[in-house]
Amino acid sequence: MELRVTESTEDELSIEIAGEDHTFMNVLKGALLEHDDIGAATYDVNPEQSGGQTEPILTIKTDGGVDPLEALEEAAVDVREKATTFRDAFEAAA
Amino acid sequence: MTEEYDVEFVERTDREARFLVRGVTPAFANGIRRAMLADVPTMAIDTVRFVENSSVMFDEQLALRLGLVPLTTPPVGEFVEDDTVTLSIDVEGPATAYSGDLVSSDDLVQPADDNVPIIDLKDDQRLEAEADTVLERGKGHAKHQGAVAAGYRHLQRVEVVDDVPEFEDEQSQIVRGVIEDDGELIPTSEFDHDLSNRYPGKEIELEDVPNAFVFHVETDGSFPVEEIVTRAADTIEARATELEEAVQL
Amino acid sequence: MMVPVRCFTCGTVVGEHWEEFDERANEGDEDPQEVLDELGVDRYCCRRMLVSHTDLVDVVSPYQ
Repeated sequence: MELRVTESTEDELSIEIAGEDHTFMNVLKGALLEHDDIGAATYDVNPEQSGGQTEPILTIKTDGGVDPLEALEEAAVDVREKATTFRDAFEAAA
Repeated sequence: MTEEYDVEFVERTDREARFLVRGVTPAFANGIRRAMLADVPTMAIDTVRFVENSSVMFDEQLALRLGLVPLTTPPVGEFVEDDTVTLSIDVEGPATAYSGDLVSSDDLVQPADDNVPIIDLKDDQRLEAEADTVLERGKGHAKHQGAVAAGYRHLQRVEVVDDVPEFEDEQSQIVRGVIEDDGELIPTSEFDHDLSNRYPGKEIELEDVPNAFVFHVETDGSFPVEEIVTRAADTIEARATELEEAVQL
Repeated sequence: MMVPVRCFTCGTVVGEHWEEFDERANEGDEDPQEVLDELGVDRYCCRRMLVSHTDLVDVVSPYQ
């Protein structure tokens, strides 16, 4: 997973997350939107055949209360916790 | 953030399962589904060396057929991505070569189904080949796709609103999936997917239960259903951890 | 030529059911619908794989 920041201001961040697709990006976006201080979060991917920018670009806009990069880190932690709690709940039922 | 997930099995066999998950967001449910299809590595034949092939099909056609045979996938940690296991096949006509004729060099990697016909051999025809397997993800080739027809639907809640008016014909109301009636989970196949069979003469209202998804997963035999779900969750966890570390740098 | 190993659409292994299906529904006189139901081939994508298949090995083998 290679990260490359394409745009960065105090309350806005665009970051390329190489090697990922909708499977992870959509989960991550969903986790970001659950965050209280996030105003907007979205990602954009182009098909592989289209040439040019084919890696997903995640854009985060905060309400100013938090650094976007920190929010991204928190979202990654959230996704990780979601995955482990899901697995634990599943294994408990199985 | 601590979420409460609740998992409940509705139907379960070795290769097929239907289970309800409560408390997941649609995004996460879809992530799990996509990870099951494309991100869980399975073993499959990738390179075939033909010693003799006098059958009616070309080498590359047979190599494709061999590749599509599901193989049991070893437990996590036994193999890493570049390890190979060699299987050999030697069948002389008149006979049919089956997937069960593949002889593996490793007990952990065996054909999951023994009676898939590979090629029909006539008199004097012979197939002798060695095949190398690789551990790969479904993203790269469909033969590495462990989950088959993995999907989910909302859990539906049924509510009896009223009786059908006296002079009105009863209409069938088709629904597929699993319904919830007073906390009881009922697969719609129990009443032929028609609510008018279960609630004759009643007017019914259906609604999706928010954040409750009924997954239906089948596997090709590479591993049991439970395994593919937990491994899919693990791939998402691994990527989240990777991102977390990458952001910290 | 030979039965496809898997269903083109969903990826279920269908090849293993071919011989029984052929024997009972094509050679025999059972109803293909019932045979497929008994074999557990439920989805129509998988069912068409067996219903529409013709073995051609015997047809081409003289021309090797």
